[in-house]
Amino acid sequence: MTATINRSPVLAATGLTKHFTVRGRGASRHAVVHAVDDVSIALFAGEVTALVGESGSGKSTVARLLAQLMPATSGVISLRGTPITVRRGKRFRAYVRSVQLMLQDPFGSFNPVHTVGATLRRVLRMHGRSANEISGMIDRLLTEVNLTPPAQYASRYPHELSGGQRQRISIARALAVNPDVLLADEPVSMLDVSIRLGVLNLLAELASERELALLYITHDIASARYFATNTVVMYAGRMVEGGPSETVTQEPAHPYTQLLVASAPDPGRPLAPVPPSGLGSPPSLINPPAGCRFHPRCPLAMPKCATEVPPKFTLAGTSGPGTDGHWAACWLHEKSES
Amino acid sequence: MSRALRSPKILTGLIIVAFFVLLAAFGPLLVRTDPSAVSNDALRPPSVAHWFGTTQNGQDILAQVVDGARNSMIVGFVAGALSTVLSVLVGVTAGYLGRVWDESLSVLSNVFLVIPTLPLTVIVAAYLPHSGQFGLIIVIALTGWAWGARVLRAQTLSLRKRDFVEAARASGQGSLRIIASEILPNQTAIIAAAFLGNVVSAILTEAGLAFLGLTDLTQWSWGGILYWAQNGNVLLSGAWWWFVPAGLCIALLGAGLSLVNFGIDEFVNPRLRAVGANSRRGPRKPRMRPARWDVSTESIADNQAPDVLLEMKNVSIDYETDDGAVHAVDDVSLTLHRGEVLGIAGESGSGKSTLAYAITRLLKAPAHATGGQIVYTSKAGKAVDVLALNGEELRAFRWDTLSIVFQSAMNALNPVLRIGTQIGDVLTAHRKNLTATQRAARVKELLRLVGIPEDRATAYPHELSGGMRQRVMIAIALALDPEVIVLDEPTTALDTVIQREIVSQLSALRERLGFSVVFITHDLSLLVEMSDTIAVMYAGRVVETGPAEQFYRNPRHPYSKALLQCFPTLSGPRRQLAGIPGSPPDLRELPTGCPFQPRCAHAFEGCDDQRPVLVPLVPQQVACRLYPAGDDSQVSAPSVPEPV
Repeated sequence: MTATINRSPVLAATGLTKHFTVRGRGASRHAVVHAVDDVSIALFAGEVTALVGESGSGKSTVARLLAQLMPATSGVISLRGTPITVRRGKRFRAYVRSVQLMLQDPFGSFNPVHTVGATLRRVLRMHGRSANEISGMIDRLLTEVNLTPPAQYASRYPHELSGGQRQRISIARALAVNPDVLLADEPVSMLDVSIRLGVLNLLAELASERELALLYITHDIASARYFATNTVVMYAGRMVEGGPSETVTQEPAHPYTQLLVASAPDPGRPLAPVPPSGLGSPPSLINPPAGCRFHPRCPLAMPKCATEVPPKFTLAGTSGPGTDGHWAACWLHEKSES
Repeated sequence: MSRALRSPKILTGLIIVAFFVLLAAFGPLLVRTDPSAVSNDALRPPSVAHWFGTTQNGQDILAQVVDGARNSMIVGFVAGALSTVLSVLVGVTAGYLGRVWDESLSVLSNVFLVIPTLPLTVIVAAYLPHSGQFGLIIVIALTGWAWGARVLRAQTLSLRKRDFVEAARASGQGSLRIIASEILPNQTAIIAAAFLGNVVSAILTEAGLAFLGLTDLTQWSWGGILYWAQNGNVLLSGAWWWFVPAGLCIALLGAGLSLVNFGIDEFVNPRLRAVGANSRRGPRKPRMRPARWDVSTESIADNQAPDVLLEMKNVSIDYETDDGAVHAVDDVSLTLHRGEVLGIAGESGSGKSTLAYAITRLLKAPAHATGGQIVYTSKAGKAVDVLALNGEELRAFRWDTLSIVFQSAMNALNPVLRIGTQIGDVLTAHRKNLTATQRAARVKELLRLVGIPEDRATAYPHELSGGMRQRVMIAIALALDPEVIVLDEPTTALDTVIQREIVSQLSALRERLGFSVVFITHDLSLLVEMSDTIAVMYAGRVVETGPAEQFYRNPRHPYSKALLQCFPTLSGPRRQLAGIPGSPPDLRELPTGCPFQPRCAHAFEGCDDQRPVLVPLVPQQVACRLYPAGDDSQVSAPSVPEPV
């Protein structure tokens, strides 16, 4: 784990918020979905950051906001320290050259009528590569994602490839423009179990070799432990805990993270005779609970939790308070900070 | 394309269309008679001189039909092409741009759809009777685009949300380029179908207008022939030869184009193709299953432990495909004991879900059981082969004795019925003697069992969360107190916390109600926690089976070992995670010998000769040549690698 001190993030977001207005009739006419509220995240070169959450937690919305595919309601996105907002045209393309988004579904994210080579060629040409350097680049990219011999894969159609191979092509497509940041939204959740690790390992290797800042979005907190330097946990549109992955998964501080960790299947530990507490479903994001959004399910909720949004509290690190950047947005840790 | 030509529909259609195209192009060169030339042979039936007979004015009808073919087809194809272009422009623009564009363009096409076409055409055509073919084409094109535009709009809307379009947007491509290279190529089949449909309707419209005398009647066309025939009172004079050829031509060309259209549909929609293939082969004959009923109580009592509930014996299931049979499940034997959880693990293509469908007798063509038995032994000791049950017996067996919970509760529940009604329906079907009050009480009891508040009985499926819907499915499965519940990936679509909740609840219910479970999932770590016995399937066969705990502590098959290591763990120190190289095999092209051998770290010479069979390796059974059976082994066992 490299020291995070005195380094500036490649891509950073502060106070990122996204509210969707719902088009409907009657009572729900002016309903607002609070999909993402006040998310701040920083991605560093050569490092994997995991964003963990269940469905509806807003993790995919964060990815799309960071990719600037949709405008944020508020908040600032900075690329190499400079705040930047792009919508379309040349500036958007320039941004996309630095920040690439990779999608979950290896079956849906390729146009079935184009060969792998044609798909990659179009991306390269669009980003201004000349015709004679393109075929060499395609070969290099396919080799880099371990699809060898490259010529054999370039001429195939998506349906002729397995899920794992398609996801490798997704990676190649994202890397084609030589980005600084890769946002990977559930890159392996649709793949067979036996090939997930191969794709994750490849992503981690590429991140360190190419000095790529990688955001790994997942619902599987166990995989975050293995592949990410830092982990951020989201619940119902807000960040609840963050820090080094090993600390977050081994000493979870927020009751929600504790629930998530306790719920994950793990034959290695003795089966809890009673189910973990705090069961139930995440709240509606149209009228999210005031205060901490987890408080209606939280076994440790205090009166304060229902009224005031907990700020980030820094937690004692392994080598002194605050040294490893572990924090939790939970009133339980109010004292430990002061 | 050659595959398209193999479709008899497309081929027949193309031959018909080609014939008319040739007729229109070269016919006038062969039939030199002037279609308008008047002669004294008035109203003659078909003869050697006039093959199709003559009109009242002695004009040659064959010459008119041939000359008319050119006009009718030019109008048909050009108007068809024009209205298709309009459909594409309007449909794709509306679907892709959305918002105001979509709303206004949709209103426009809806208006065109609800106006009765023929009167509109008549009115418009009435204003341009002498502008010739050109005017006619414009009129037909303007009135015929709306239907195609609607279909294309719907298709574009769904394509626009697909990931590859999103990916193209994310990579910074402009709208026009995305439409041209991502959207349109995926719509070729629909556009082709719309074009052919438009041509047919243009030809019909032209004939209709000509018949009404609204076109330029100095030019011959099929509709024009009909017009003159009608004016000549053919029906009174009985001169059938005057109108039959033109009518037949219209019908034949229309049929030809429609055949091509149906063929294209079938060709691009694999689902229709499979159905077509099966219907061609005719209904599948019920396979003879002699002596299956002889699985008698005695033989069970002699051979098996009394606690056996469900026993699969050498079950094999094939999928019929165009390229021959695919063995999805191959000679699988497994036993479910009373009160036990049998866990079946595997990746895609392992055959685990196919096996679940066989146990519940839900296999649909092209899948069918080719051998083996699934023997159910009742509490009284009576044994039956589930695969041999007939309709009535099956209805009693399924749900009364054995029920199933599928992965996708949303698809399994009827969206327009309240959940209480859906649970009640099972009771109505199987417990006819229950009164309405008893039924309502049972529904409430079931909801309570699975942890849903009773007042939610009046909710519709869409009002419930995914976890709640899956609980409803479990309540339906429990409704008749079955002995076995088959759970096919019951929690895969759910979040971790909800999965934990449902799994804990299932365990509690099992302890209370005493049913047995066949649990099928790809999530081996969950399965180890849940099951008493585990079976790991690969490429249609069981490669290892044994008690869950021993299996977890000491997996023997290299695939089981590797698969267990594919799950990152939260407890304990971080261990080395490897993954398995390669991909799960394609059942159509299985490697020779052991199907896992190309991905296996321990493969040695000989693994590719012969498919290994299960041999006992107490307490497990393993199908791997690392563990040769005592009698037939020629391979000396290499040192068994330590479990990592």
